[in-house]
Amino acid sequence: MIYLDNAATTQPSRALIDIYQRLESDYFANANSNHLAGRNAEKYLSKARATILESLGVEMSHRAIFVSSATEANNLALKGFALKYQNRGKHIIVSNIEHPSVYESVMQLRDQFGFEVTVLNVNHKGQVRPEDVRMALKKTTIIVSIIAVNNEIGSISPIKDIADIVHQHSKAVLHVDTTQAIGKVSLPYKDIDMFCVSGHKINALKGSGALVIKKTIDLLPLLSGGNQEFGLRSSTISIALAYTLAIATKEAIYNQQKATINVTSLYSYIRSHFAKRNNVVINSPSNGSPYIFNFSLTDKKTSVIVEALSNEGIMVSSISACHQKLTTSSYVVKALGRSEELANNTMRISFDKMTKLEDIQAFIKAFEAVVARIRT
Amino acid sequence: MKYERIMVRFGELSTKGRNKMDFVKLLATNIRRKLGGSFPDFQIETRFDHIYILVNDNDPYAMISELQEISGINSLTLVTRQEKDIDTIKKIALEMVKDKVANTFKVRSKRSDKTFPIVSDEINRTVAKEILRNTSLKVDVVKPDIIVGIEVRHEGTYLFLETFKGTGGYPLGIGGKILMMMSGGIDSPVAAYLLMKKGVLIECIHFASPPYTSSAVIDKVSDLLKILTYYQDNIRLHIVPFTKLQEAIYDNVDPSYAITVMRRMMYRISEKIANIRKCQAIANGESIGQVASQTLRSMRVINEVTSTPVIRPLVTYDKNDIIKIAKRIKTYEISIRPYQDCCTIFKPQNPRTKPNFNSTLWLEQKLDFESLVLEAINGTKSIIISANSEDL
Repeated sequence: MIYLDNAATTQPSRALIDIYQRLESDYFANANSNHLAGRNAEKYLSKARATILESLGVEMSHRAIFVSSATEANNLALKGFALKYQNRGKHIIVSNIEHPSVYESVMQLRDQFGFEVTVLNVNHKGQVRPEDVRMALKKTTIIVSIIAVNNEIGSISPIKDIADIVHQHSKAVLHVDTTQAIGKVSLPYKDIDMFCVSGHKINALKGSGALVIKKTIDLLPLLSGGNQEFGLRSSTISIALAYTLAIATKEAIYNQQKATINVTSLYSYIRSHFAKRNNVVINSPSNGSPYIFNFSLTDKKTSVIVEALSNEGIMVSSISACHQKLTTSSYVVKALGRSEELANNTMRISFDKMTKLEDIQAFIKAFEAVVARIRT
Repeated sequence: MKYERIMVRFGELSTKGRNKMDFVKLLATNIRRKLGGSFPDFQIETRFDHIYILVNDNDPYAMISELQEISGINSLTLVTRQEKDIDTIKKIALEMVKDKVANTFKVRSKRSDKTFPIVSDEINRTVAKEILRNTSLKVDVVKPDIIVGIEVRHEGTYLFLETFKGTGGYPLGIGGKILMMMSGGIDSPVAAYLLMKKGVLIECIHFASPPYTSSAVIDKVSDLLKILTYYQDNIRLHIVPFTKLQEAIYDNVDPSYAITVMRRMMYRISEKIANIRKCQAIANGESIGQVASQTLRSMRVINEVTSTPVIRPLVTYDKNDIIKIAKRIKTYEISIRPYQDCCTIFKPQNPRTKPNFNSTLWLEQKLDFESLVLEAINGTKSIIISANSEDL
């Protein structure tokens, strides 16, 4: 199998699975228990927490809350902060290419809790303009939430500039969905008030994740219970999941430069192939993440191509309305100003540090054969 | 109270005159096959107007819930056969009602054996008195909560209290076998269910057009059939490789006629497979006017390619009624999974609702369909879906 859908999820590393199994059987005790087994578990948990913060260079300023996923991290950050500090103001700013876990969270705050939401349009390269953020800031703004690397097209927003503007011109906090950025794109983590780590996007296990927030920030917990995770996220934590997440984060950050050099060469290869091709509109901006390559086709249905490739053992992703009744369409590609037809017919190839040039070559060969063969 | 037998009553069967014993035998065979899988030791006694199942050590209630899945059974009654002795009858009747949650009762007896000295009215009163004396139940002859049934026959006295509803219809197989065209949509499983209820065995044919249709559609069809194994233990599914024909149609036929020609190809293939598999007819989920290919004009032009009867159980049903049945038999949730089925891929914007017969023939001649049809038939793969087949 050639797996090129790493923005959806990555293959967990064998080594991490082994560590997970060992820890889950040896350190199964509840880290809150007052016995030796519990205290040993707690040691691993503390170590995991410290490792994540150190890897990201925020050990002095931030704390990490273990959660189950980036979706949970985003929900907790946005709703937890907004509901805790709503007396300061009820205005939130987001972009129009946020991941649904961010977008739907703020829409829920708007519709159910009376918040006001400003949605910023990105430019034609899929970036939020810092100037737009500045213009949108109000006295009542309490959160600005901007995706760092968009999951569909890989566009990178200027987070450093946005952070500076938010902090200089308002009392709002900056929340950044960093799911597709950790270990892939360099970010000024110290300047970000709240961000997340998703385990399964960095070769760790599904079900592991962390919300990283400034130490000065408090949140209204979404899960009430035994007051684990500083009282912000009750639930008995899996030591094994937390620890493997920490190792994966450390490795991802440590290997980031090397991996990105390799992936960038793959990206250039595939991009130059499709740039020369007819009937293709490339959606990924040239200055985006090299891990995600997205394009639309003008002549063939990408859903059919994805199915054909899948039958040949090549896994890629598409957003495609194959039928009038199924109105799947990429809001991200539409946000770039592309037509409905193009937004209805996108394809995404996403890489991992393990992806090889041969995989890309095999994909391109199979892609061209399928396109030549199919009728729609 | 332990009942040692289940009485199986037939519904529509009773009207079938001389063929009746064949029906009863087939039903007995279906019962034996169904129960044989889960219950080790039981006997079946066939009578002219009912079947007895001797439950032995099995749980009769578990048996009844399996029997309720068999078509051709109208009702199921738990029965015990006792001595023809009024004291025994009193004792057993009391035992039967004792553990029941009810307020009122009625005794209804019947004396087929006229040598028994007590007339039925007297039996009613004797037994009722016994129950009144020993329980808090009251008599209500108009609308009782429970009815104690007593039948005195030559071989003994039968007592019964609880009757369960069966599926009705005819025994499966009595109506022969049909080849059901199964797309994966809402209609075809409902049509299949109605046929099975009428005693028709089904085999299914599905047209797969990878990569235009997702391989997930095959899983979807398999899951649908798995639900239908509730009524028929094993269902054979023929998967026809249809891609080449679809492509040839796409390449050669005007888009407004693509569906018409495609349906004709499907019927041609279905007819051949029906013949090979000894199916008496082809069936599908069509309903008049539902889509372009289901207008009467379309049906006529499409149907022209085969002389095998095409049965359309849903022909007059409204979509809402079909959905209601689909929900009841639990196929709906599977049917609405959003994958492409065979009909939706080349869907032109304006398909013909009134295709012209000569135009169809003329367009069809442009492709070498006979060899393509043959190739599709030769490439057809069959799998058997069973109630207990593994998911992965």
